[in-house]
Amino acid sequence: MHMVEQFQPMKTLHFSFLMIAFCLFTGVEIQAQTDTMQTDKYITRATMYGVGFTSVFDTYLSPQEYKGVDFRISRESMRMTKLFDGNISAQSFFQADLGYTHNRADNNNSFSCIFNWNYGLHYQFRLTDNFKLLAGALIDLNGGFVYNLRNTNNPASAKAYANLDASGMAIWNLKIKRFPLTLRYQINTPMVGVMFSPHYGQSYYEIFSLGNSKEVVRLTSFGNQQALRQMLSVDFPIGHSQMRLSYIADMQQSHVNGIKTHNYSHVFMVGFVRNIFRFSSKDKQLPPSTRAY
Amino acid sequence: MKDNIKILLLVICCILLPTSCIEEEEFANTPEGNFEQLWKIIDEKYCFFEYKGIDWNAVHDEYAAKIKPNMSSENLFEVLSKMLFVLKDGHVNLSSAHNTSYYDEWYQNYPWNYNAEIVSQYYLGRASTDYRTAAGLKYKILDDNIGYVRYESFQNGVGDGNLDEVLLYLAPCNGLIIDVRDNKGGNLTNSTRIAARFTNEKVLTGYIRHKTGKGHNDFSDPIAIYVEPSKGVRWQKKVVVLTNRRCYSATNDFVNNMKDLPNVTLLGDKTGGGSGLPFSSELPNGWTIRFSASPIFDRNMQQIEFGIEPDVKVNMDPKDEQRNKDTLIEEARKLLNK
Repeated sequence: MHMVEQFQPMKTLHFSFLMIAFCLFTGVEIQAQTDTMQTDKYITRATMYGVGFTSVFDTYLSPQEYKGVDFRISRESMRMTKLFDGNISAQSFFQADLGYTHNRADNNNSFSCIFNWNYGLHYQFRLTDNFKLLAGALIDLNGGFVYNLRNTNNPASAKAYANLDASGMAIWNLKIKRFPLTLRYQINTPMVGVMFSPHYGQSYYEIFSLGNSKEVVRLTSFGNQQALRQMLSVDFPIGHSQMRLSYIADMQQSHVNGIKTHNYSHVFMVGFVRNIFRFSSKDKQLPPSTRAY
Repeated sequence: MKDNIKILLLVICCILLPTSCIEEEEFANTPEGNFEQLWKIIDEKYCFFEYKGIDWNAVHDEYAAKIKPNMSSENLFEVLSKMLFVLKDGHVNLSSAHNTSYYDEWYQNYPWNYNAEIVSQYYLGRASTDYRTAAGLKYKILDDNIGYVRYESFQNGVGDGNLDEVLLYLAPCNGLIIDVRDNKGGNLTNSTRIAARFTNEKVLTGYIRHKTGKGHNDFSDPIAIYVEPSKGVRWQKKVVVLTNRRCYSATNDFVNNMKDLPNVTLLGDKTGGGSGLPFSSELPNGWTIRFSASPIFDRNMQQIEFGIEPDVKVNMDPKDEQRNKDTLIEEARKLLNK
């Protein structure tokens, strides 16, 4: 698979030179190439880095909320598919966050680390050429831990849960005095899933050393897991690149096996967006002068 | 069909879910708030109320009356500590920056039955020349060909490699003394790892239960605990385990594991007990509270929270001490040399 990075509508000298050289060497007209571009090969990808605030609560470890800082990275890809006459888009969203929090008296700390991956499909309702609503579902996988630095036989709480989420999105391409912006709001909520949880007063010694894992994986739904992930992002061009600023409000909470947990994070992120076109080397060969490899 | 799917997806997208925060009652960082939080943590998570016949509600009323809004931090600590002493539990500790509460009646007012100076000078000897150290184990062969192993704390790790080497070195001995007096406990996995060297078959040694809810009697069904024979070197001759009142927690668990194994004799005094696996929590002012959360029973589902009786009851003879002799070690040697 070759990947050709497509530059932004703002034409640059480099892009013009490349296309002219391409035409001279191959004699292939640009118009003909556009006709053969398939929409499912066009990927929008963004890597983001952020910092924010988090509140971590887990009654297995402490009756108190621990509050502090949250560091997060994320990587997102979106592309159209061929499903439903090309109206379905696919989204892959991975994020990893590290939280360092303190108790009310500020004399104890805990670390939390969660890896989250969502993969989903959305139906795109294109209300106008610039505004669309998306509705769909995601597979939502989560793994990590909360570690309390002071506890004895209950120092840590393992986090492992998977959900099927409902997901909605609104995407608006607009211009403010000819300055292009893309605004996106997304909301995901789990509908049904499974979650690992020890019982109310069960030690990890009993589960893992003695091998009693009865009913430590429980079904979850709205009754015992009410969670929301919301994201608001704005994409805009800077020079040759496209920058994205986003705000994530990640509200995870559960009440399983008598143990209450919540993890509320508000994170501000910044990164760059790349628009990539993929084509198979079986179908197309770039001219030698444009191939670096 | 496609229109129906579109409508369904739109409905899902438009659902405004009635979500509410999952949280716990927050207590104020005042003497009353800290008292109520401590009482509630113990009320919901402590595991020995019924066994010990404690009316925790009555304790609340008695000690709430002693809490004053303007009492000092030290005074509050003293009152809360006294409330916790009602539990009669060496696994219950309240820790502040200035002090930690200890309930120690499980070994106070009983013969000590261990003289560290005598053991160190007249039995173990010098670390450089007279005994060997393998991780947490000190060991040597006594004059009468009896192997002696001193294990001071289950917090000190002991690996399978260490145990292979120790038992191979002591293999020519007529018998083995394992001295766990004054061992206040530590890691339960060390208890199981050592006991596994003294059985050739899988043995039921006890049960564990955990709390399933906030009620004083909300417990799981008992879960069986087994000791499985180690794949390493296993001891086949007689063993005497020396115990005193200061054997607690993981040591109590080790004594429980060993007491029903073949060729093992418990000699000394009743252990101090401590069969509740402790968890931690905390108060609004940042003080930590440790408490028994998950009880362990013997193979007959009997409580061992208040200790395990020895097979052979021996107390240290003061006359022996004057002659720098340890009565318990001497009696164990006689038993093993029969």
